[in-house]
Amino acid sequence: MKRAAMRIATEQFAELARTGAEKARGRPSLKMVPDLLYRLREAGLSSFPDIPAAQAYGAAIRSEALTRLPELLEEFEKKATANGATVFWARTAEEANEYIVKLAKERGATYVIKGKSMVTEEMGLNEALSKHGIEPWEADLGEFIIQQMHCTPFHIIGPALNIPVEEIRDLFLAKADMKKPTLDPVELGWAARLFLREKFHRAQFGVTGVNMAVAETGTLINLENEGNIRFAKASPRTQVSVMTLEKVVPTMKDAMHLMRLLSRNCSGQRISAYVSMDSGPRKAGEMDGPEELFIVILDNGRSRIYRDPRARDALRCIRCAACLNSCPVYRQIGGHAYGWVYSGPIGQVLMPLLLGLDKTQDLYRACTLCGACKGVCPVGIDHPDLLLYYRSMDVSADVAARSLFRGKKRPWREAGFFKAWGMAVKYRWLWNLGISLTRSFVNRNFREGVIRDRKGAFGGWFRSRDLPLMAEKTFQEKWEEIKKIH
Amino acid sequence: MNEVSLFIPCTVDLFLPHIGEATVSLLRRAGAAPFYRRGQTCCGQPAINSGYRKEAKEAAKHFIKLFGDDEAIVSPSGSCVCTVKHHYPELLADEPAWFRRAAELAPRVYELSQYLVDVLHVTDLGASFPGKAAYHESCHVLRGLGVSTQPKQLISAVKGTQLVPMNQDDFCCGFGGEFADRYPDISEPMVQDKVQNYLDSGADLLILCEPGCLLNIGGYLSRRHPGKRVMHLANFLAQGG
Repeated sequence: MKRAAMRIATEQFAELARTGAEKARGRPSLKMVPDLLYRLREAGLSSFPDIPAAQAYGAAIRSEALTRLPELLEEFEKKATANGATVFWARTAEEANEYIVKLAKERGATYVIKGKSMVTEEMGLNEALSKHGIEPWEADLGEFIIQQMHCTPFHIIGPALNIPVEEIRDLFLAKADMKKPTLDPVELGWAARLFLREKFHRAQFGVTGVNMAVAETGTLINLENEGNIRFAKASPRTQVSVMTLEKVVPTMKDAMHLMRLLSRNCSGQRISAYVSMDSGPRKAGEMDGPEELFIVILDNGRSRIYRDPRARDALRCIRCAACLNSCPVYRQIGGHAYGWVYSGPIGQVLMPLLLGLDKTQDLYRACTLCGACKGVCPVGIDHPDLLLYYRSMDVSADVAARSLFRGKKRPWREAGFFKAWGMAVKYRWLWNLGISLTRSFVNRNFREGVIRDRKGAFGGWFRSRDLPLMAEKTFQEKWEEIKKIH
Repeated sequence: MNEVSLFIPCTVDLFLPHIGEATVSLLRRAGAAPFYRRGQTCCGQPAINSGYRKEAKEAAKHFIKLFGDDEAIVSPSGSCVCTVKHHYPELLADEPAWFRRAAELAPRVYELSQYLVDVLHVTDLGASFPGKAAYHESCHVLRGLGVSTQPKQLISAVKGTQLVPMNQDDFCCGFGGEFADRYPDISEPMVQDKVQNYLDSGADLLILCEPGCLLNIGGYLSRRHPGKRVMHLANFLAQGG
């Protein structure tokens, strides 16, 4: 099964956002799904006796885990190895892909069964496997659909939620041996199950991601609602779990709390339908589990992020996707506008660090700083603050700060404007001079008491909005009168 | 009598001075004595949002020098108050003397409705408006300052006014300063949804506490729904009093 390589299109954001917004306008249901998830989350959280305390506890766990990251990773490796797993450290996605391809080839696997994971999307593992003649089969329903349709995830937890059911029906008739057409979601799900069940039965090689890796026990934890991850972990002879550096947490108790948070913030559940916790491969006398377990610990830019204590906060994320559902921008443009694996506020925070600021300018500028994401985040990520930090890196004269994430110099017009502004802001007389110079210029296009356009400049604003006239007298100029009247 | 230093945002100074005038008249009606420091310019929010920290620091220091000794500083803009309260200490963190001054100043800066209700303990300012009003929870007022009940109390106390619920009242209207001009394909549907929710609420008037949102929602209404009105809380409370 071939899959279109996941092209990095973060530089086409503005264009993709327009397309996304047009699609959403045509299908109101697209906007309703995030809203539904948002409400489910609110209802789910109410089962915590003290919601802010529960969220703050999550932030504390993630903050501690990141502060102790090197030490915890070593401990995890030691425990996992003692449990019988083989740990492989991969610096880049290519290294990780090569390793997994090599393992699969050595074992003569013709296909790989995959549990839903974001990290293998980030790595482009499916393309790497296909290139070597090994078929990847996505076993999560949504991932299965988008794999067959050659498109990218629309939402972190609902990769195919943008695809109309009629298209899914046609797809299953053509590619998943479905016998008769139906629009019933249960029957569609059943068709995919039947089709994939056969893949599971003969599976030799499974690949999954990881939600949490527990340092004190060497345990890998996955949460899901369909059972595909459990199946991919338990049924093949060889199993590979891929995790990025930041997935490690200190203790099982920490992991337990993060599970409570993740389930509630994701989908409003108290706990996901399936939780698998695995410490090593099948042991003598055990019924199931893989004969061999490989754990790939992937860096792919995380250690660079780790070096910057402020940017490090972005690594707290547990991928609950609550920020996506809360985001008024995501709701308008959908998940494909962001141009790569991660979408919504967390995508805007993570992808500039992973891909470089020079390739992701719009991601950290296309935000009104409304703070809804920060308000829902269960691990205390301050998304708006991080976006402001990236913006300042572009401007900063500090070359070291700029080079770590490849900041991009701002246009001279903007830089010049702020230089002048920085002077005027200190002296009201200079400020007033600026006002009188701009006033006649700004006001010259007024009609019916408002400004309707500025002949090219600020076209984005004037396309659908008027502006009041710049007052003939500023508040300051009126102050002497105001003082007397009121 | 409570002496109150007026902090008039540049958007109000330049485009919406009537909001400033209403602010003065309300404060007087509530028993305070507002005064205006002529040296004030801009709090620096646009520079912070665009990443120009060095220039924003200049604005911050100017503001602190000017307002530093005032007991209470009141502004009809939640986002400008947020800038002074939350961003100044962070901006000046590497200059201990300035940081201290910023941190000392922060608790003395108030958004207008917050000052009226929480400090002066006034909710009824004698205004009257016969009709239904909806309230837009501006991002920086609600999430930045935690101010939400205060404006609603003030609106509810107006004679003849019925405060009606509005769908997604806490959703961003799509302003975001430069965002509105740079990303019209995103900003437009946002303000369009906001206005649709306002129309669906059946309110005769939309009230808010943020000049930025007022320019955005007001600008859109002026273009597409000229009969519908949006008003700053200060002007709403100042009428008919």
